[in-house]
Amino acid sequence: MRPTVYGSESLAGISLDSGTRLTLTDGPLQLGWKHSGMTSDFIAEVMALRYSGSKKGYVQAHHDIGYLSNELIENAVKFRQPGEILIEAGIFDGSFLIRVQNTIDGVTSSRFQQLLHRLQSRDPGELLLEQIETNAISTASGSGLGLLTLLSDYDAKMAWAFEESEGERIILTTTAAVAMPPSSNP
Amino acid sequence: MEISDENFRVWAEQNEVYFDGVFRLAGPDAYAPIYSLITGLLHEGHKQVTFNLTGLEFLNSSGINLLAKLTIEARKMGDLLLVVKGTHQYPWQAKSLPNLKKLHPLLDLRLA
Repeated sequence: MRPTVYGSESLAGISLDSGTRLTLTDGPLQLGWKHSGMTSDFIAEVMALRYSGSKKGYVQAHHDIGYLSNELIENAVKFRQPGEILIEAGIFDGSFLIRVQNTIDGVTSSRFQQLLHRLQSRDPGELLLEQIETNAISTASGSGLGLLTLLSDYDAKMAWAFEESEGERIILTTTAAVAMPPSSNP
Repeated sequence: MEISDENFRVWAEQNEVYFDGVFRLAGPDAYAPIYSLITGLLHEGHKQVTFNLTGLEFLNSSGINLLAKLTIEARKMGDLLLVVKGTHQYPWQAKSLPNLKKLHPLLDLRLA
């Protein structure tokens, strides 16, 4: 069955085969919250190296890669069903691209798709402020604030693909891209 | 008054709250003690409260939500001036702190 795609269709279809691939395995050592920070720091360290010729460019690249990776991996760790988290990342045509794949349950999937529906017709900056006001009067988590920050403050391009798998499980693949500073160290 | 772990430290000195390090806590529940600490300070009757973020290297989106909630709390208190000191040294601050000003136009945002 074809996956249901939200956001940029072309981004969802792009191949990241020549990038770097990491798998976080939910094994006997358990996958914990702190691993999202460790993994995103690692990706930022590796990917920002090519910008080390300019301090400003390096700081910007390192931060943007780290922030984007951290938000996506935090979401994968937080909302996943037991199983692997597959991460692909690379620099392509002046942008950092990252794709994170994990499985989620049906309830998470429909809640998330509702949020993405709302996103399609609205300005992310406005939606971000609205969501912040809503969060201030409730304690509910999983508000999509991270994604709204990426779209609004980081000008990220994003795509989400939902694909039904066996049972109630759904494979969620999130792809995101942010522009990088000019490379000083090709 | 101080809350810290191996990655971050937050503490208050009179009417100024300092944030230092990398904040990557898991959500509103994990940020709740910090929220309580600072809300307490906001209600102590100061004319001005300053959030000093110049040492705040990294903040995840749940942390940004914390700052936003505190800004809204300060907004509710009409006679309190909230000053937010930030730095261009850490790129997230120039990107995300202006949102606080949109939430609370009287907030004094100082990005150096």
